[in-house]
Amino acid sequence: MTVSIGEIYEEVQPSDVAPEGGQIHGPRAGWKLALSSFVENRLAVAGAGIVVFFILFSFVGPLIYHTNQNSTNPINAFLPPSGAHLLGTDSNGFDELGRMMKGGQAALEIGFFASLIATVIGTLVGAVAGLLGGVVDAFLMRIVDVMLSIPLLFVILIVGDRYNGATVFSLSIIIGIFSWLVSARLVRGEVLSLRVRDFVFASRTMGASRRHLIYKHLIPNALGVVIVNITFQVADTINLLAILGFLGYGLNYPQVSWGDMLSNALNYLSDGYWWVVYPVGVCLVLVVMAFNFIGDALRDTVDVRLRRR
Amino acid sequence: MTAYLIRRLVTSLIVILGIALVTFLMTHIIAPSPGRAILGDRASRAAVNAFDNAHGYDRPVWVQFGSYLWQLVHGNLGYSYKLNQTVDSLIAENAPHSMWLSGISVFLSIVIAIPLGIFQAVKRNSVADQAITAAAFTAYSMPQNFLGILLIGFLAIQWHLFPAEASQSERIIPYIFAFHSNFLPIATLTITAVAGYSRYMRSAGLDALAQDYIRLARAKGLTEPTVLRRHLLRNAILPMVTLIGLSIPLLLAGNLVVEYLYNSHGLGLLFINELGNEDFPTVIALTLLGGIATVVGNFVADVALTVADPRIRIN
Amino acid sequence: MEPVLEINDLSTHIQLSRSVVQAVGNISMSIAPGETLGLVGESGCGKSMTGLSIMRLLPNGGKVVGGSIKLSGVELTKLSDADIRDVRGNEVAMIFQDSLTSLNPTMNIGRQIAEQVRKHRHVSRAEALERAAEALSIVGFPNSKERLDNFPHQLSGGQRQRVMIAIALSCDPKLLIADEPTTALDVTIQAQILGLLDDLKQRLGMAVLLVTHDMGVVAGRADRVNVMYAGRIVESAPTTELFTHMHHPYTQALLGSIPLLTQNRSERLFSIPGIPPDLTDPPPGCRFAPRCSRATDQCRTEEPALEPATNDHHFACWHPVDGPIVRTTIAVNGTAPAPAGAGEAEHSDAAPGAPETVAARNGSAAEPAFGARGWQSGEGDDRLLVVDDVVREYPVTSGVILQRKVASVKAVSGVSFTVGRGETFGLVGESGCGKTTLGKVIVGLEKADKGQVALRGTNVTGLRDRQLRRFRKDLQMMFQDPIASLDPRMRVGAILREPMKIQGIGTKRQQDKVIADLLGEVGLPANAVERFPHEFSGGQRQRIGLARALTLNPQVIVADEPVSALDVSIRSQVLNLMKRLQETHGITYIVISHDLAVVKFLADRIGVMYLGKLVEMGTGEDIYLRPVHHYTAGLIATVPEPDPMREKSKSEVGIKGELPSPVTPPSGCRFRTRCPAAQQICAEEEPPFRPFHPGHVAACHFPLQQPIDGGDPLAAQAGTAPTIAGS
Repeated sequence: MTVSIGEIYEEVQPSDVAPEGGQIHGPRAGWKLALSSFVENRLAVAGAGIVVFFILFSFVGPLIYHTNQNSTNPINAFLPPSGAHLLGTDSNGFDELGRMMKGGQAALEIGFFASLIATVIGTLVGAVAGLLGGVVDAFLMRIVDVMLSIPLLFVILIVGDRYNGATVFSLSIIIGIFSWLVSARLVRGEVLSLRVRDFVFASRTMGASRRHLIYKHLIPNALGVVIVNITFQVADTINLLAILGFLGYGLNYPQVSWGDMLSNALNYLSDGYWWVVYPVGVCLVLVVMAFNFIGDALRDTVDVRLRRR
Repeated sequence: MTAYLIRRLVTSLIVILGIALVTFLMTHIIAPSPGRAILGDRASRAAVNAFDNAHGYDRPVWVQFGSYLWQLVHGNLGYSYKLNQTVDSLIAENAPHSMWLSGISVFLSIVIAIPLGIFQAVKRNSVADQAITAAAFTAYSMPQNFLGILLIGFLAIQWHLFPAEASQSERIIPYIFAFHSNFLPIATLTITAVAGYSRYMRSAGLDALAQDYIRLARAKGLTEPTVLRRHLLRNAILPMVTLIGLSIPLLLAGNLVVEYLYNSHGLGLLFINELGNEDFPTVIALTLLGGIATVVGNFVADVALTVADPRIRIN
Repeated sequence: MEPVLEINDLSTHIQLSRSVVQAVGNISMSIAPGETLGLVGESGCGKSMTGLSIMRLLPNGGKVVGGSIKLSGVELTKLSDADIRDVRGNEVAMIFQDSLTSLNPTMNIGRQIAEQVRKHRHVSRAEALERAAEALSIVGFPNSKERLDNFPHQLSGGQRQRVMIAIALSCDPKLLIADEPTTALDVTIQAQILGLLDDLKQRLGMAVLLVTHDMGVVAGRADRVNVMYAGRIVESAPTTELFTHMHHPYTQALLGSIPLLTQNRSERLFSIPGIPPDLTDPPPGCRFAPRCSRATDQCRTEEPALEPATNDHHFACWHPVDGPIVRTTIAVNGTAPAPAGAGEAEHSDAAPGAPETVAARNGSAAEPAFGARGWQSGEGDDRLLVVDDVVREYPVTSGVILQRKVASVKAVSGVSFTVGRGETFGLVGESGCGKTTLGKVIVGLEKADKGQVALRGTNVTGLRDRQLRRFRKDLQMMFQDPIASLDPRMRVGAILREPMKIQGIGTKRQQDKVIADLLGEVGLPANAVERFPHEFSGGQRQRIGLARALTLNPQVIVADEPVSALDVSIRSQVLNLMKRLQETHGITYIVISHDLAVVKFLADRIGVMYLGKLVEMGTGEDIYLRPVHHYTAGLIATVPEPDPMREKSKSEVGIKGELPSPVTPPSGCRFRTRCPAAQQICAEEEPPFRPFHPGHVAACHFPLQQPIDGGDPLAAQAGTAPTIAGS
């Protein structure tokens, strides 16, 4: 028995015209997919939880847990944890828990602002280098090479020392303008690889202007990398801030950072005042780790969206 | 290959030139008139001018930069007016201690991190892998100063296993052999580096494990250890070489924290002390040195990679 | 004779994070010594997993969950890990698809071969290297001893595949599993490698399990064929029997969807609707039932077993078919042409129920008047697009500080042709022949270093931004990779709206209407506008790509390998769609492909490219039935056709050697280094184009056909430089 195409075709074609290309059975859409793969990552959820907790702890905490953080009170120095001072007091008689809240504010604020500044500069430089190419690119990338080679901590210490009067604002700016290099490299790499992707070619064959390509294709696609980098940048900045404070180049009195508190704590390590040492250190580790968790998960999410077939 | 290395060398020199320009500008902006800084606020204007004139600080900027470079080429990094000593001699006194600390820590962290990362990649998602990942993640997220405080708090103060201070020997040989005294500084640097390297090594190992050539090696009937040793190890280590080169600025920063924390002789401690003294010629020279060390490290890493990777070597 | 390999009721599952893929389900097969068993199927059907199950090399989460695998009577599934290692590489060897990633980049090839010999033969290092050199010479490396020190990146793709084969045979295995051994290679190299495998099988007496998606490859190389679909073997038969008397509708449909070189191009390709089932949740009953035209309720509930029809022909179907779908073919080498009018009859049958019947285009290849430039266009004087002497070269730079140009890659070296309105022009050639670069030059993505591309008489290569943009909408492109060509962050609606937005066409409402119409036309559901590209299958994405190219109602669409990334059954859907849309929109296509059958199915006229040059041009029939250039003839001889009779009658060698470097192409005729007829003059003089048949030209000093007497070659030459307004 032989079958002709016509016969088969008539049988195949259902009467209620399903689309010939078939229905769509793919995974769920866009941000829902991103969100679900993010939520699947328990560490990321934990990270997000920790960050939310510390935001509340630092900014809402002082409204609930009232402490005096303005005047020293030597009589109350090194009180162990008690009902009045949940985590005891430090060498100046400041309530430790209240002080941690204050330090948390500084850490989160500087982490956020410095990363924002770094990301904005880095994205602009990277995008310009990647888009213009040629001499401009070579020049900008040599600058990045040079600045990446100079140890960041040294430069920030020198600048911080010379222009003392470190406030949240000034430290954010100093750290920000010296931390944009990595994001510049990332964005440039992303732009270079996006430029030769087929969908950009497709857009060019339609007559798209450079502007259109940048706004409709390059920016939305490079955004993932940038956002991932911001989270890591926040983690690095908080870490750096802890070290600056520790070395004595943190925030000026009466402001306080966790690093300053650690520096202070070092002197009393052998005296058994554990409450001035470990709680603040644990806070630092938790916050930095939380941002790293989030960054890792976001990076996986960005990759998943690009790689899933 | 030679052409590639020459090109790499030339770009390295250009970057070093750039670093010198940056440090020169820093000096110029931060301490435009060394006379004022050195002679003090009470010195007369004329005396300051005379000092600047005598030392050439009133010449045009580009001339000064030229002479700065000229001095650098001759190995002259400047003069510390605060310590009345050439920066070169300061470095000669302090560099060996720092180099030993960094060198031994990098060596140990490579020796620990590579097998650890490969083990994790091979046993991925096992309990052991997850435990190591958690530990590495914690160490990686920990500022070095807090890590140091934890080590001092427990190992030195609580359990009296190691001294809380590094060896105070000014001479290098006794310093090198003071393993017990230097245990904590070395441990602090190593733990941080292992945390970073092993994370990277694990993912490099996972990437390499997913490669087709691993499957072909298994299809040849090789035993698993042979597959890992011959086919995975080298391919997974290659990207590490570059990473180690790139991590030098972090190592230098780590040295600074550790030397300060354990009061250990070295360039880091010198930097902190002189920063407090507003001894800008010294701290900026140290910055320059750090930058050059980074460039040289990256160059060495590239040369090593060129030798180790036939795809670059034979081309 | 005892079979080398006997598989019974084998099932392999792959555990994913929260589901289980039933990759291979209850399959049975056996291979006799010296036999080649073809295992064919589309991607994801479980054919590779079968091979990996035998080797116990399944990916993470993969596990044989039932059944037995016996190698010469030894049960492999029961062996310890140490014992299976003694089997791997020793008694069973495997070669993989991608030779670049399958060889260790940091180890020389000598050691990569020798390590297997040392493992299984317990010989000294020197002896193992000796054996490695021997294996290399067997697979066709001259000076094999010196080659031992080479690293994989120093070898070409074909050479690397030879190295992988050398590794495989170095321990004289009883069974060789070849998993898509030639899929990554060009056809001329593919023919060489397949020939080598055949030859080795004869000499060494191995049994071969040939795993491939390519029906053409099994037709010529396999003794028996197993067809897999969705984890099941649906049919198993001797090769010729399978191709001529298949019983399973899937086998029939699969073969029917492949465009043949002998195909009557006016006929629509058969295509299987829908996509294969999700193996984490396979349908009950016959797995092909959801896509099968013969499916009944029984098929949907009860799974048919693989039952023998005759002694060695098994199939699993409740409602078997008998033999292939009838297709009309063109006359080949004196065999009688298919009954005249048969095609017409088919069409009249199909017409009422089939909304997308392609109107017979019998006139398309009809004789055009032969004149000075008549051969240039199939449709008389209506020259829509003129490609005139286009040259594109990429600089190769070197230098310590300043990058000097030291040489150039000659991607396209003076190509000319014209395309008429509504015509389809095909460009065919192997990778590196410059066809993709030429396509990009035509749509303006690459600048031509020399020459011009003229649309309706206007040179578009010389236009600046704003003027160019107007012309751009008439020149659109369809890309090979349906994943890379759609922006992953845009919804399909936005992707289709983009061209209109850029060109400033229509109000939002009008645009919506166009989008909805286009989606309907390319056979996608209307709700597709809300979805992101990653939610679609490969074939669906290619439909989106086609819809996007159509949005601006262009005059010319350059389609670069439009179906190469797709499975056979999906491929025919897209090919039919492209033809149908050409009918309805009057588009002119330039189809670029390495696949001669695809080009021949779509194109009215074909240009054959080799190393940056056009070597022959004519209708599909000219090229296929009357090739003039030795390259064209060799190419045709090497293309595997899904027809065992034709494949087995082909001579072994197609085209010898490998593609020369495009940086230093051979002087004179660029093909001379691989040409069987090359003589002195071929190296000295570049052959001019000469006419061989109305509309059929080729550039060869020693052509396979007699040129038309009196046909002045200069006339044809003159035709390659048409005057272009404004230039």
